Amino acid sequence: MWIFLSAAGGAGRLPRWTDDRESDQQALERMARGDADALADLYDRHAARVYSLAVRIVRDASDAEDVVQEVFAQAWRQASRYSASRGAVAAWLLTLARSRAIDRLRARRARPDQQVAETAATELPDLAPPVDWQYLSAEQIRLVRAALEQLPFLQRVAIELAYFDGLTHVEIAARLEEPLGTVKTRIRAALTKLRESLVGAV
Amino acid sequence: MAITPPNHAALGDQVELYVLDALTEPERRAFEAHLSTCEECRAQVDSLRPIVDSLGQIVPQHDPPAALRSRVLAAAAAPARAFEPPVARPRLVVHVVIPWLAAAAMLVVAVGSAIYATTLSSRVNALERRLAEAIARADVSDRQVAELRRTAASAQSQVAVLAAPDLLRIVLTGQPVAPRSSGRAFWSRSQGLMFTASNLPPLPTGRTYQVWVLTRQPAPIGAGVFKPDAAGRVAEWFATPADLPQPVGMAVTVEPDGGVPSPTGAMYLVGQ
Repeated sequence: MWIFLSAAGGAGRLPRWTDDRESDQQALERMARGDADALADLYDRHAARVYSLAVRIVRDASDAEDVVQEVFAQAWRQASRYSASRGAVAAWLLTLARSRAIDRLRARRARPDQQVAETAATELPDLAPPVDWQYLSAEQIRLVRAALEQLPFLQRVAIELAYFDGLTHVEIAARLEEPLGTVKTRIRAALTKLRESLVGAV
Repeated sequence: MAITPPNHAALGDQVELYVLDALTEPERRAFEAHLSTCEECRAQVDSLRPIVDSLGQIVPQHDPPAALRSRVLAAAAAPARAFEPPVARPRLVVHVVIPWLAAAAMLVVAVGSAIYATTLSSRVNALERRLAEAIARADVSDRQVAELRRTAASAQSQVAVLAAPDLLRIVLTGQPVAPRSSGRAFWSRSQGLMFTASNLPPLPTGRTYQVWVLTRQPAPIGAGVFKPDAAGRVAEWFATPADLPQPVGMAVTVEPDGGVPSPTGAMYLVGQ
């Protein structure tokens, strides 16, 4: 570890985070022109995070690999349609990762009433992330995890079933055998509390 | 003063569900129509979005297998074939026209070496990034890291029960010694037992609460012990054996510290 650290100090050049956003935009522009090397750049910067989110959602390494492949395939196909006004590429990739992973969960659950949602999720998100979006720091991740841990259990469950399992509030209520209003109240309270505890942090 | 359309009263309380992507499809469409006219809701969405976005980044991090990179890049390097979403694992189709195959193989080698050169520089970039992350993490002590890992793992198990397809729910009600107490148990054969309760009376010194699984067998099976927080709340996950007989109920008793093989104390919570 210390050898690594001193080696980095000796090299005297640490990556600057702001460079990544520009590199991502440039990679997308190159991908739009059919440059496969640009896809490699993008993959090396983001694959681990895309894969980790997919693993958490699909809870299966092999399915998670398929999700990663779909995400970068979609990025490759849609590179020409992606503009800087859409916000940070990294945020877009994570959004795609969640959508593709949840598509898989829904396919596994194989419920006919969710067909519509699946196709709808394929397109670019309507609300672009801000252009100054960037990955959370280690400290921010610690804060978010701690804030989530502080929530009453059933509030946290509601948040996680929605985000990581792609359940609607109606499905969550059915799963917990609770009235619809209770689940809605829990989710509202949970997000409000998370926002309060993370003011200025994320 | 933000502009709020008349339907804000009816739809304004769906902001959180919308940002979390927890609305049903018709609800989502209706809310998006509302959002296009409601400044107040747009401001709410903007303030909640980073919170929800952060959820995608707090998951335990894993490195994808090295072979995956080649698969992703190989698909893009084949320009004639559209980069199709993989439905199944790619299968090798052997054509009878061998000379064509040889030409294709040479092409793959040529493209491959070009990709390899740029791959090396990308790898260096990726390594530098890892290093920066390691440095950023260096202000968190090893103990904290271990603690975080444990918390994250336990948190995952807790929710995994609720997401399990074979979820079994049991509502527990307070008994005469603890009439205000209530609890809920969620069990799945593969994911274990998640137990949560509130308004539990404080424990005397040297005592613990113990959770029992009631089955069709006469003897209750101890699932684990817990101590509630100062407010009398608990949310605890217990592993259960894969061959646990099908539960038909749950109970909670107060027992000597560390728990006992079969219940001896008063029942505080029972549910069928």
